[in-house]
Amino acid sequence: METALSYTDPLIIQLAIAVVLLPFAAFLINFLLISKTSKVSGWISSLAILLSFILSAIVFFKVWDKPHDIHVQQVWFAIGNVKVQIGLWLNNLSVLMLLLVPAVALPVHIYSIAYMAGDAKYTRYFTYLSFFCFAMLALVVMDNMLLMYAFWELVGFASYLLIGFWFTRDKAVQANKKAFIMNRIGDIALLVGILMLYAHYHTFDMVKLFAGDNALANAQGVDKAWLTIPGICFLCGAIAKSAQFPLHTWLPDAMEGPTSVSALIHAATMVAAGIFLLGRVYPAFNADVLTVIAVIGCFTAFMAATIALTQNDLKRILAYSTISQLGFMMLAMGVGAYSSALFHLATHAFFKCLLFLSAGVIIHEMQHLKQKHQLNIDPQNILYMGGLRKLMPVTFITCSIAALALIGLPLTSGYLSKDGILIQAFEWAEGKGWLYSIIPIGAMLTSLLTAFYVARLMFKVFFGESRLKEFNPDIVPEAHDGSLLYQIPMMMLAACCLFPLFSFNPFFYEQAWLFKGFIASSYLERMNLYHTVVPVAVNLLIVPVIYLAYATYIKRDAHWFKQQGVLFRFSYNQWYIDSFYNKVIVKLVLLLSNLTYWLDKNVIDGLIGILANIGILLGKIAAWVDEYVIDGILHVITGIVKQGGNFVRGFQTGRVQGYLVTMLLVILVLYVLKTFI
Amino acid sequence: MITLTDFLFISAGLFCTGIFIVLSKRNAIQILIGIELIINAAILNLVAFGKYDKLNNAGQSFALFAIVLAAAAVSVALAIILNVYRQYKTIDPNKVERLKG
Amino acid sequence: MSILTLLIFSPILFGLVILLLPTEWRNIFKHINLLATLVQLGIAVWLYINFKTGALFAGINHQGQYQFVEKLHWIGLNLGGTNRLQIDYFVGVDGISIMMLLMSSVVMVVAAISSWEINKNHKGYFALFLLLDVAITGVFCSLDFFMFYIFYELMLLPLYFLIGIWGGVRREYAAIKFFLYTLFGSVFMLLVMVGLYFSVRDPQTGNHTFNMICMMNPANYDKGSIFGILSNATLLGYPARVVGFIVLFVAFAIKVPVVPLHTWLPDAHVEAPTPVSIILAGVLLKVGGYGIIRVCFSIFPDIATSGAFWIGLLGVISILYGALNALAQRDLKRLIAYSSVSHMGFVLLGIASQTAEGMSGAMMQMVSHGFLSAMLFYLVGVIYNRVHNRDIYSFRGLGTLMPKYTVFVMVAFFASLGLPGFSAFIAEAFSLIGAFNSQAINGLLPNWMAVCGSVGILLSAAYFLWTLQRMFFGETQLKGGQIWELALTDLGKRELITLVPLALLAFALGVMPSLVFDKVNDSVLALIQFIQLK
Repeated sequence: METALSYTDPLIIQLAIAVVLLPFAAFLINFLLISKTSKVSGWISSLAILLSFILSAIVFFKVWDKPHDIHVQQVWFAIGNVKVQIGLWLNNLSVLMLLLVPAVALPVHIYSIAYMAGDAKYTRYFTYLSFFCFAMLALVVMDNMLLMYAFWELVGFASYLLIGFWFTRDKAVQANKKAFIMNRIGDIALLVGILMLYAHYHTFDMVKLFAGDNALANAQGVDKAWLTIPGICFLCGAIAKSAQFPLHTWLPDAMEGPTSVSALIHAATMVAAGIFLLGRVYPAFNADVLTVIAVIGCFTAFMAATIALTQNDLKRILAYSTISQLGFMMLAMGVGAYSSALFHLATHAFFKCLLFLSAGVIIHEMQHLKQKHQLNIDPQNILYMGGLRKLMPVTFITCSIAALALIGLPLTSGYLSKDGILIQAFEWAEGKGWLYSIIPIGAMLTSLLTAFYVARLMFKVFFGESRLKEFNPDIVPEAHDGSLLYQIPMMMLAACCLFPLFSFNPFFYEQAWLFKGFIASSYLERMNLYHTVVPVAVNLLIVPVIYLAYATYIKRDAHWFKQQGVLFRFSYNQWYIDSFYNKVIVKLVLLLSNLTYWLDKNVIDGLIGILANIGILLGKIAAWVDEYVIDGILHVITGIVKQGGNFVRGFQTGRVQGYLVTMLLVILVLYVLKTFI
Repeated sequence: MITLTDFLFISAGLFCTGIFIVLSKRNAIQILIGIELIINAAILNLVAFGKYDKLNNAGQSFALFAIVLAAAAVSVALAIILNVYRQYKTIDPNKVERLKG
Repeated sequence: MSILTLLIFSPILFGLVILLLPTEWRNIFKHINLLATLVQLGIAVWLYINFKTGALFAGINHQGQYQFVEKLHWIGLNLGGTNRLQIDYFVGVDGISIMMLLMSSVVMVVAAISSWEINKNHKGYFALFLLLDVAITGVFCSLDFFMFYIFYELMLLPLYFLIGIWGGVRREYAAIKFFLYTLFGSVFMLLVMVGLYFSVRDPQTGNHTFNMICMMNPANYDKGSIFGILSNATLLGYPARVVGFIVLFVAFAIKVPVVPLHTWLPDAHVEAPTPVSIILAGVLLKVGGYGIIRVCFSIFPDIATSGAFWIGLLGVISILYGALNALAQRDLKRLIAYSSVSHMGFVLLGIASQTAEGMSGAMMQMVSHGFLSAMLFYLVGVIYNRVHNRDIYSFRGLGTLMPKYTVFVMVAFFASLGLPGFSAFIAEAFSLIGAFNSQAINGLLPNWMAVCGSVGILLSAAYFLWTLQRMFFGETQLKGGQIWELALTDLGKRELITLVPLALLAFALGVMPSLVFDKVNDSVLALIQFIQLK
């Protein structure tokens, strides 16, 4: 092995490799050895991810906040004079992700054992799931942009498989196709960015490009244009993967997969990859690009939050909330709050995962009710829920903790990370002109909207009376919390949603340990008023917002929102973005493809056809000429000869006497001529 | 006195008669007779002109040769005619037309 | 007799055996045929393993650096004075041809296995098949232009009959179209070949020569000869070398195929029987790419550089145009045929970039596409054999009915659309890298070409995923109803034996691209250097 940076530790490297390869091993075993419905597969995958988690924790503590990155590489193949290396690059960012992924995946695995128990393709599910984790873990540790891209795509591919897991459902396969293709748009941009960097710097090695002060990206006196354009490309890749506007529409549709998969996609794998990418190549962005990132993030956060306000599908609300929260992270990246973005990524992973797992339980129970009473309802529709608080107490409590964290109330992890972003956004905008302050204000507004839709969700689902009674008053709703396999992972996650995991001081985000690991930032000092005013103001505003939701949906005495208004429809139809894509862009591409096919059939092949026909025509003309001109002349000549022959033939009577007469006559004539003339 | 001219006249008459017979008759034997007449006309001419060669009498000698040859020719011709008759049951030369194209 | 001669002509022996056996034994013909291709594969693998790498074995324009060379006098005629007509039997391999040989022999084995389905006139079929095999192998080994041309033309004859007799409904149309199309290109190639012959002298003997390696050295050209670099001769008002290059390029571009010379391909592929489609897509198209590298670029390097922009442009057009057309298809085989057009565009783009990355990427793409297109066409053949229908709209939910088949379709589709871990990803990525690099290194191709090329990858995802969704997912619903449901059995053993190695090969090349790059690298570097020096 060749070492690039000074510090390597074989043990850590081996552990890190083991972390990555354990799920892969589980994938292989499940894929090749385990029968289709065997329950062993679930335990194999879970065991693998558990070991992965433990090992990653060891790696984490060995690497976190140390002065040196760990970087090893080995030659993969040579092309031309360039040797392409394969290697690991462990720094604070990657070990954080390396820990986070199995930490979130582990509860999901355990939960899935119960959740997928009845499925006919049980083993297949865990095969995919292990592969998904493997791809994500590998993506996180790779030092090489080409390989990172490879695993980036494999993450997308795994999500494709999982979203379309129930492939007999049309909606599911539509959704996974959409997810893959929309991600592919971003992937292509990412690939172009990588290739541009390679073309200019002749290396795929991210350590050489981005790490440390000597990295190419930080070197002085270099034309940075060749860094900025790839930077924009990377941004596009992250936008697709992290479901940001305008490439966000795949995420709500991706709900068609099993709910446990959604939990994983929304928390630590898939969508986190985009934010991770931004963190990995952060030096590539200059101030302008960062502003673009902030704007996109802020807009997405706001847009998704407004859409979430009116959706009725439980999972769809959560999906839009994910988009919105990812927008927050992007915004944080954009305003330079690098560490806050990653902090929020970590906290969000836990509470969003928990929310989805709860949703899974709820939907599961609703499905039961639907089948039992043979109702024609959508089990995911929150309008049919209600009153589940007493029936499912564990779910209710864990879900509430997650909801509070999502809203960002004190004592939760969400409070710490979200306020960090808000504060730094305000600081960033300060002194930059009023236009820039739209971003922090937008973010603030978004967090209020978040409070409202989360409150709406909670009230509709857990409070009040079951709306099923409106269908049939005889129904006695029954629902249960589910087995321990459901409850334990949820409780584990709920514990992770509280403040102690991240900071011992529940009110000041600045003291979270996570910040120590990242680029020292001046924002960390409590130097100005924002650090006090913003959290207080936000929380003070959130309380009445929640009350408003309570009044609207439980007491039903506030009627602020007309169900038929323009704004309502706009939000309900998700800003018409998806319909726009379907009606315009997809149509256009199909039109274009039909056009080219028409062109191919009629113009290009038509041209060939015309050429061929010209050939045939020429041939026919030649044939005519041959028959009537060239052959004709011959016919005339032979005809003349024949006619002559026929004429002379008449003389040949075969009568000797006739010949004699002729002879005599000739002699006589000659004699007469000779004598008299 | 019979002059040379008289001989020539008779010879010419014989010749013409012979030609006429040859051209007009439909019977091979008659044609043969016609040919004989023509030959005799020629022989008569030979004898008639023989008076200019009293030393060698070449005219008469040639006449003798011609008579013999004519006789031979006639016998051959008659043999052919007999064979033709056997083949075609006719001796009309116009009807013997197997060679006609 | 050298090993290459054995490689080229061994199928003929088997072909003779087949011809001599009585027709009643037709059932063993396919086994003999398979044995022939296996023998060839064995020899090719032996060659691959024993192929030496290193700068001293780069080949390209150094006669001494070719390996497994055999050079015999073949046709020699005294033309009076010092002139001698000299045509050699001259075979040898370098890094570029060794991969083509290996790839084509693998594809031929696959084609031989899929020939099991042939059910009429066995003797003729297998004899033609083996003749085709000889021609293809010969093309990749020949270093004498005359021989190259003979083998190149010899490929047409068996293909014409294979398509025209054993093909689908419109087989005659397709066969004639294919034949005329390719003949059109190669007839003019003959003229250029003769022109080159009269321009070049072998430095050793002083005679005119067809030796391609002699043609690569500018010093071997006669003063004032038509293709001499310094003679500035013109043809039809254009520089003769430009005309020569274009003529050769058109001949090979038809084979590749490059838009707009591609319209024979969908027809021929659709009408050809499955094994012939496999050979067409797997090997025939590569003959075009190989010819461009071996003949066009090596003999006319100066023109290759000045025309790189246009070649790259054609490549990009092929990529996008092929992909868009594929999107509009409803016949599965036609879709794959158009996707071939799109994928071969990357080869052209990579070659045009004239960088080590691009060239290697193009080579990789040729090898990778050889395996993947063979797999794709084989998969289409599987379904066509069962129900004699290929319309995408006739099927739905095959995933439930034929799970193993669906797995292989997914492998083939995802590998083709450039999923990392499979060979096409490496190939396409490096072709594009070459295109990007080109601007920085030699300024031949602008960046937008590479960007447009990557859009092709996006489109390929669109049409493959659409097909997957439409045909394989969802509730099972077939046009032929119950009968089809019974007919559509999952993959059998023989089919698995064919598909598994192909999938593994595509995977192996994706994970260990060095399998190809190591062998190719020296030749590619030598070629790049040669082109730069001109």
